[in-house]
Amino acid sequence: MLLCNLVSIAIRVGAPRIVPTHGIPFPTGDPELGPEEERRLRRQLVERALDALGTSVDGPTVFELGAVTGAPA
Amino acid sequence: MSATRAREGERRSGTGLRLLAHEVTAVVLGEETTYGDGLLTVGAREASGLFAHPALASVRVACASPGDSTRIVKALDAVEPRCKGGEDGGIFPGLLGPAALRGRGETHALRGAAVISAGFLPRAQEAVLQMGGAGAELSPLSATHNVVVEFDPAPDAPWEEVAAALRLGVLRLAEHLAQAARDADPDVVEELEPADRSTGLPRVVAVTNIQTQGAFKDVLVYGRTMAGALPTWIDPCELADGAVVSAQYGHPALKNPTFVHQNNPVVAALRATDEVELAGVILCPEPVNEKEKRLVSEHAARLCAAVGADGAIVTKEGGGNADGDVALKLDALEDIGIHAVGLFAEMAGRDGTSPGLVVAPSRATALISTGNYDELVELDGTDRALGGERMGIVDAAATDELELPMAAIYGSLNPLGWSRLTAAAEV
Amino acid sequence: MRIVHYVNQFFAGVGGEEAAGTAPDTRQGAVGPGRALDAMLGSDHEIVATVFCGDDYAASDASAGEELLALVRGLSPDLLVAGPAFTSGRYGLACARLAAAAARAGIPSVASMHPENPGLDEAEPAPVIESGKIGREMRPSLERLAQAIEKLAGGEELREHDGRIGRAPRRNRMAERTAAERAVGLLLTRLAGDQESTEVPLPSFGSVTPSAPLADPENARIALLTEGALVPMGNPDRLESARATRWLRYELEGLDRLEEGTYQSVHGGFSTVAANADPHRLLPLDAARELEREGRIGQLHHEYLTTAGNGTQVATARGFGVEWAAELRQAGVQAAILTAT
Repeated sequence: MLLCNLVSIAIRVGAPRIVPTHGIPFPTGDPELGPEEERRLRRQLVERALDALGTSVDGPTVFELGAVTGAPA
Repeated sequence: MSATRAREGERRSGTGLRLLAHEVTAVVLGEETTYGDGLLTVGAREASGLFAHPALASVRVACASPGDSTRIVKALDAVEPRCKGGEDGGIFPGLLGPAALRGRGETHALRGAAVISAGFLPRAQEAVLQMGGAGAELSPLSATHNVVVEFDPAPDAPWEEVAAALRLGVLRLAEHLAQAARDADPDVVEELEPADRSTGLPRVVAVTNIQTQGAFKDVLVYGRTMAGALPTWIDPCELADGAVVSAQYGHPALKNPTFVHQNNPVVAALRATDEVELAGVILCPEPVNEKEKRLVSEHAARLCAAVGADGAIVTKEGGGNADGDVALKLDALEDIGIHAVGLFAEMAGRDGTSPGLVVAPSRATALISTGNYDELVELDGTDRALGGERMGIVDAAATDELELPMAAIYGSLNPLGWSRLTAAAEV
Repeated sequence: MRIVHYVNQFFAGVGGEEAAGTAPDTRQGAVGPGRALDAMLGSDHEIVATVFCGDDYAASDASAGEELLALVRGLSPDLLVAGPAFTSGRYGLACARLAAAAARAGIPSVASMHPENPGLDEAEPAPVIESGKIGREMRPSLERLAQAIEKLAGGEELREHDGRIGRAPRRNRMAERTAAERAVGLLLTRLAGDQESTEVPLPSFGSVTPSAPLADPENARIALLTEGALVPMGNPDRLESARATRWLRYELEGLDRLEEGTYQSVHGGFSTVAANADPHRLLPLDAARELEREGRIGQLHHEYLTTAGNGTQVATARGFGVEWAAELRQAGVQAAILTAT
């Protein structure tokens, strides 16, 4: 599965499982956060990635940290 | 009494702009700046004096004409000499003069001439402009008589100040040269209509995306940055008075020098057809993250709708990242029923077989190609080079015969559609 | 013509997925679908030998290409035919690469696969003939291929109506009008109702079939991958910062963390300051190890794979994807997490 910021491109090239990130230069982090918060974010992102891997999908599907959305029709 | 709408004739923003174009057919250096019968003489001392600034140690002015065995390397910005007519100053508002609304009255232009700065600046990518021999035809500025300014930064001067001083000097020189033609009869008079009136024809907007990535990669509108801003509508006549000035020195083939903003090719092409009316120019920043790109793009589409656009032509500045801004706008426009055409350069690889567009629109399909970025071109060796003695992007003298990707040729893939270059499938 | 036919381990009759690691080898005459193809070609042409290789071997072994080309050359064919590979990515890539290498070595070649096969773009300069999507369409696919072979034997070029697929190279040229003028022209046709014309056809990326969900992460081997060009400090193996032509692998065995200063990103497409200050922002090793210790995942794969996804040619990236998948499957990895910048 794919952790990335440019979700529209990921959908266009057909990535089946996508978890959106906070910024292009830091897919599994965010320098705006304090160190503890950032480690928590990273853990959450990887856990979400595991959720995505365990979910059956038919096409590009976005797994936000909060909710799941299919690719726009 | 009830409120009524102002009648059509009463509500006017004023007449448009009268552009007085003076053709330049030759350029030489001389004692003082004069213009007559097509000959532009550049007063070398006067010209250098316009660059006096603590951040610049020295400048040198040279001339390069079409067909000359000359190559300009490390080309930075190019500006068409222009000044206001009458008593008003005010060309290049926000930079040479106060940031007051422009685009009315009379403006003089030296057609067939350009002031070009050349030399090293950080974050600049080496841009090559061949004036004669093989490869010259690829850069639109090989067809103009160029006044080339080389410079040496003052020791310890911060590079941002060097760039700003150089930029102001170039604009001053552009105004100074045009002023030499103020008393001459123009060769062509163009009446540029304002874009705020409707004649009943289909309305088309030129959506012009500009780079907004900070020092050396920014584009100034009335002297200020648009980074972080939402799109704005301007009258195309404002472009003619230098409301948009380039401070962007990367992307040699994919840049829009000031010259191209002054002579916005999409605006010119829309003015030249009598089947549609020009509904204005919408300037948009090019953000560097997805969410902001989306906001700017959808806002731009909504602005197009607000001015009653039936169609739009969308352009950019830069590489693949900027393609995203065009693609999002094309889709947003199609979604609200506005026909949209986008201009893209292709990154199709050396042999032209890679898919050229990585960030293509999903729903919009009307795309114009400005050429393949990766194809290699041959440049003849030249007798003279301006802007530097050695190449930066290859290990060669600046006058050597060269083989370079199209990406390095100044203006060759111009995203505003300045050039005739295109890529097509080999049959 | 003397024809050499390339097929994978399955069509050579060696075995299915379990035999995907089979090393290159040859058989005399036609094998599997080659027999039907041979029959269609009549007496003028003969498949004198079949070269075959396991799909994983072909896709992941660095020397596979050379080995296969050497085998083909040794047979002195007048023509190399590869496939049909249908939509099988590893097989298609192997066919495309072999056909391209043979063509460059002076041996006329033709490959056959479905237009959505990820290998399609790598066949240049060899032509590719369209095949059906699945093995059930073998017969019509072979008939089309046979017709194309006849044309090649007659010295003719293959064109679109012969079933030729893949991109025709795009070349720069000067048009009559500027791009701005042509844009206005195109807009006028759109305003008049034409919904089709364009100068640039939209790229088709094909579709990616989602894999089945990972049923049992607690027992799975999971790999971390990144396109963020994460390399040991100093970039000892010289990964390119843009238009990468390679990918690299680095050891994670025994590592719980990526210490600041020991790794760097050499990606040219974004500011690497944040990633260099904390490489976990590109490769979440610390979080992955935590989950491994807690038993949420079975095992973290002992190495990570990386490249720079900056202006990478799409065909190259497709190829990397196929190679990474083959590589990881051979190593027993069940799932992979790819970070992109």
